[in-house]
Amino acid sequence: MVRAGRSPGAPGGRSALFPKRQAAIAGVYLTKQGKLPDRTSFSLQLEAIQGALADAGMTVADVDGLLPMSGSNHIGGLDGGTAPHQFWAEQLGGKPVSLMEVGGASGQLAKATAAIASGMCEVAVLFYGKAGRPVGPRGTAMPDRAPRVPEWSFAIHGAYMIPFYAMWAQRYMHEFKVSSEDLAQVAVIDRYHATLNPDSVMGAKGEITVDDVLGSRMIAEPLHLLDCSLDNDGGYAVVITTAERARDCPKRPVYVLGGAEAVSTDFYVSFSDPWFPESGKSVRKAADRAFSLAGVSRDDVDVVGSYDCFTVTGLRNLEEMGFCGIGEGAAYVAEGHTRLGGKMPVNPDGGLLSGSHCGDPSGLMVVEVVKQLRGECGARQVEGARIGVAQQQGFAVHGIGSTLVMAVD
Amino acid sequence: MTTAPPRPYLKPLPDMSEANRPFWEGLGRREFLVPRCDRCGDYNWVPYPACRSCLSEEQTWTPVSGEAEVYSFTIVHRGHGQFNDEAPYAIVMAKLVEEPRPCIVLGNTRGIANEDLFVGMPLRIVYEDVPGEDVTLWRFGPR
Repeated sequence: MVRAGRSPGAPGGRSALFPKRQAAIAGVYLTKQGKLPDRTSFSLQLEAIQGALADAGMTVADVDGLLPMSGSNHIGGLDGGTAPHQFWAEQLGGKPVSLMEVGGASGQLAKATAAIASGMCEVAVLFYGKAGRPVGPRGTAMPDRAPRVPEWSFAIHGAYMIPFYAMWAQRYMHEFKVSSEDLAQVAVIDRYHATLNPDSVMGAKGEITVDDVLGSRMIAEPLHLLDCSLDNDGGYAVVITTAERARDCPKRPVYVLGGAEAVSTDFYVSFSDPWFPESGKSVRKAADRAFSLAGVSRDDVDVVGSYDCFTVTGLRNLEEMGFCGIGEGAAYVAEGHTRLGGKMPVNPDGGLLSGSHCGDPSGLMVVEVVKQLRGECGARQVEGARIGVAQQQGFAVHGIGSTLVMAVD
Repeated sequence: MTTAPPRPYLKPLPDMSEANRPFWEGLGRREFLVPRCDRCGDYNWVPYPACRSCLSEEQTWTPVSGEAEVYSFTIVHRGHGQFNDEAPYAIVMAKLVEEPRPCIVLGNTRGIANEDLFVGMPLRIVYEDVPGEDVTLWRFGPR
């Protein structure tokens, strides 16, 4: 097993950590996740915003930064609608808001940390909510004429997210001699974790085996149904503020030690060869920079929230984040490190495969890691967790990456 | 005995831009045109306003050989709309032989059994006029 070396800036190990605790997460909130036919995306977002602020002992009046995730604007018309931060600034009362940011959750929170540290704003809320808009083919109606799409769109060829990850998996399995059984481990561990999380969508269905994954129906070869993430409703929010202010909030502050993001591709229109370079791509870039800023090494991490939208993504995330070498993700997982009880549990909430995947789920990893570091996770608690990492990826498969390193005292 | 009328083509089609009209017209002539940089000679796929290698805006629509190989592929069992009626169907990422900047082109297959596909399989671009529409699309056949 290859382990990344200790990064510079943490020469003394844990005692020398946390040199720049400039901002902290003071509040998190999850709405119910699952099928929510009686809810709207708007109402989930509003509930999440108010819930996370209540968790921080704050109200909307305290907010001067907005970090809306995608799909958060609700007024059409007027030259094609408004940007989400504009809609929400007005909806929340029209108080001037001094930070507006969009992107992947960890990247947004990293930028909010920098903004808070530099005095641009003091309390920012990241939020998302989605109800009633399936992401996959489920429920798509047959058109009565050929729909027109942008000229290089993958839709012309019948592609959508799952076929792209399937082609990524196919090439990855070809280059590194990885098997479907290797991929399936990720789903098995996620489901086990979900059974310990009462808020998970799939936990009540019980544990699954590798054979269950391989026996589930094929969606896009080599990915079976149980290799794929869920597609459910739900919302979440995260409140980030100055470290000083967070210490006066009701919950234990979760400090942001470092964070970064990176993007390298357009939206599923072009792909490069090699797809798995030793030097890594966006996820590597974001992770390296986040760990470097945090002054934390990979070995210091107690718990990880990882954007494992497919089983293959779970393996590749570990490799690109530097927890193991490229092509070694399956062996790393087989050694038990990512399972609860292992040295660095990944997605103890059940992840995107069995926990929840609510439209744009990139903040869910942050919420779970914050709860883990606060010690609020009951049966799925990672004992003594002090340092956690939330990581997301997306767009053209690892074309965008974001990482946030967090810790408690 | 009656013959069922041909089914209308209900899969998504490109909303063509003026900038890329030469490409779509090229398909009608059975030519696959890729922007080639006048300065550094690199091919760029998908077409972008400037060359990704040297940033020159001077690019020329250039016919490629049509030869490619499977970089990766998937057999899709669950698709959107009319694609679902044809499942299982194949999507390939085909790497054109033109170099050095890799041009990986997405497309469906014709004349290749799904179970015969493999990474590295030689392919050739083939052309298909869309019935009832003034559009020609590219597919990948065996080489």
